[in-house]
Amino acid sequence: MALSVTDGVMRSYTILFGNPGNKRTTGWQQALQYHGQPAAMEVPYIRLLQAIRAGDRLIDLLESLIRRQDNRRLIQAGASFPSMNKHSVAGNEKAAESGHPVSLEDNEWSNHRMHMDNIAEKQVLTANLRSGPLTLRLDAPGENIAVERGLIALGADDAEGWTNDDLLPLPDHTQGSSIAAALARRLEPYHGRVLYPAQWFRGWCRLLSWLRAEVQRDLPCGRWMNDPVEAALMFDKRRCSNWLDQAGVNVPNALAPSVEEIPSSYDSLRQLMEQQKIHRVFVKLFCGSGASGVIAYQYHPRTGAEIASTTVGIEQWNGETIIYNSGRLRRYTDHGTIRRIIDWVGQEGMHVERWISKDMLDGKAYDIRQLVCGGQAGHAVVRLSRTPITNLHLRNERMLLEQTGLSAAIRENIQATALAGLAAFPGSFCAGMDVLVPAGGGMPLIADVNPFGDLLYYVQHQEMGAYEWELARWLERK
Amino acid sequence: MEIKLSVDFDAYEDGVKLAPLIEELAQDAEKSQALTSLIIGDWGAAYEESAQEFLPTLIAASSHFPNLRKLFIGDMSYEECEVSWINQTNLGPLLAAYPQLESFIIKGSTDLALEPLEHARLQELTIICGGLPSTVLQSILKAKLPELRKLELYLGVDNYGFDGDLERDILPFLYENPFLKLTSLGLKDSELQDEIAIAAANAPVLQQLEELDLSEGTLTDKGGEALLNSEAVRSLKHLNLNYHYMSDSLVLKWRSSGVNVTLDDQQDLDDEWRYPSLTE
Repeated sequence: MALSVTDGVMRSYTILFGNPGNKRTTGWQQALQYHGQPAAMEVPYIRLLQAIRAGDRLIDLLESLIRRQDNRRLIQAGASFPSMNKHSVAGNEKAAESGHPVSLEDNEWSNHRMHMDNIAEKQVLTANLRSGPLTLRLDAPGENIAVERGLIALGADDAEGWTNDDLLPLPDHTQGSSIAAALARRLEPYHGRVLYPAQWFRGWCRLLSWLRAEVQRDLPCGRWMNDPVEAALMFDKRRCSNWLDQAGVNVPNALAPSVEEIPSSYDSLRQLMEQQKIHRVFVKLFCGSGASGVIAYQYHPRTGAEIASTTVGIEQWNGETIIYNSGRLRRYTDHGTIRRIIDWVGQEGMHVERWISKDMLDGKAYDIRQLVCGGQAGHAVVRLSRTPITNLHLRNERMLLEQTGLSAAIRENIQATALAGLAAFPGSFCAGMDVLVPAGGGMPLIADVNPFGDLLYYVQHQEMGAYEWELARWLERK
Repeated sequence: MEIKLSVDFDAYEDGVKLAPLIEELAQDAEKSQALTSLIIGDWGAAYEESAQEFLPTLIAASSHFPNLRKLFIGDMSYEECEVSWINQTNLGPLLAAYPQLESFIIKGSTDLALEPLEHARLQELTIICGGLPSTVLQSILKAKLPELRKLELYLGVDNYGFDGDLERDILPFLYENPFLKLTSLGLKDSELQDEIAIAAANAPVLQQLEELDLSEGTLTDKGGEALLNSEAVRSLKHLNLNYHYMSDSLVLKWRSSGVNVTLDDQQDLDDEWRYPSLTE
């Protein structure tokens, strides 16, 4: 039997690809518990990277993880599971930040994960690997040094294992600074430093490609919540903007008419801006997440004065130029610094779009992170800022959509735009859309698509946290 | 009725100008009579074109707006134009053309002048900018504004146009107040905020003020303590110190002082760079 039914709720097994113990995986496990679903089997990215390098198969890794869990279970017979707060995603964050109750014994499993209560359940999972139903959920690979190193190594020219670039959206234009695989694995962590972003992205796409191929081969019943192909597409801002535009979704105009004409330096950026008589742009590192590598850049067409607002910091250290993300927004007016930062983004790969003047609330510019899942708009968080960059971790303010006093028409347009954005990705069940409302009215635009944009705190929709709601939509899908 | 006229980037690229919009409003019998508050936003490439573009039209239209009481020139957010890049002009003739005006707000100080600055009914004057030139400060000090109740000046930093001298251009507002009916004074967004606060703490102008606004600048404990220790400050109805670099312990003292003070938006004290709030 491939599935079991308890109290009328279909029980579906989940494999969660993530970094165990972080707030994302913990939050998803809590959502599963909230809906009476079996805990997900967590497959750490670091193990995937090891398997790829060693030429192992995904199915073997999964089965060994199940066996291993079984052994641990024998050793730890009688261990009790930590109680989990059913409702609050907010609680999750605090728990994750304080380190409680996410105590990891071996950085892969903690004893409340995959709590298969009996041998029968384990057998069901093993059976589900082959015959389903089986949900496959990709989570963010970030905020884990070992995984970051592993992805950079996998993106190297001399990487071992699966080096198929079929999921890389723009392979000819993803050539940043490079480092050999062996050196990448020994990279020293340096807080905030941005390391080989284009190579990292290449590695990430290789991992996605491997996962997808392995699933096709050995887990034919697995259903991706978000198809890795589209996760890769969403991640590349150049390709994603173009994709949405082609689908008729409203996005800020990209400056470059084609991929070939995307600027790769400060000089070529200025040339393009001057040709088009556009002097205010957003320059974005093509594969950055959050505010990472985003620069609000403008020059004065008459005086030549320049301003670049960004979190990117640049320093010389032992003769080497170090690029890092400082936690706060900096405002540069010095030409030399601006040139060096833009040249760096250009070398790694940039996306340039027109700076659309954002609408204001209480004297602050805002945009909206709108969660959309399975054709429905869910949680929304309005982010307000005194600066051009609204991302939350830059100590900006947030508000709920219903607190804004925005008209029902604008709110509906925001949701409609976000839904249209997701509809352009038929293989993706859920994403977080960054939607901006232009000053002076007009239809909202999609400024960014976040395949892992569902980690939202302190906001409820239909009396559920973001993950609980997302899972409810997934379980009720046809 | 309040109306905002502005020409955004796309409209400007399409050839839209502000002056015809003003004429159109003036010709609309109903709206022009009902108009009590007019806001001029971006007049189209305000970083390049000065307010002189539309000023003669607005002056010529004055007889069509008999009920206009409030006028705002340059209401643009940083999303539309950097405040320090807004090109103003001499707005003195505009004030003269609207003798019934009560409130006048200006944003942007590049090439701003206010000559002559004489007005029999003006009650409120606000200038929002990243750096106020001393010529404008001097014009205000010498102004004839007998009905002025509220004066709010963003002083800013030298990078963006502030070239004033504390003694000559700022302290006279505290010690030789030229406006007999003034009840609300804002000398804010300054990198001299401590010096201004220390001077303000015992300034004669406090006798007539209900509100003092020293917000948005680089106020630290130095200026903050001078204010806290002042008897005259205690008699204010409201003290605005939002956006500041005062320590937690001083903030606590303020909270238990009984003074009606606002202290939101405390800045990072560890930051080696300290800026006023609006310093573009």
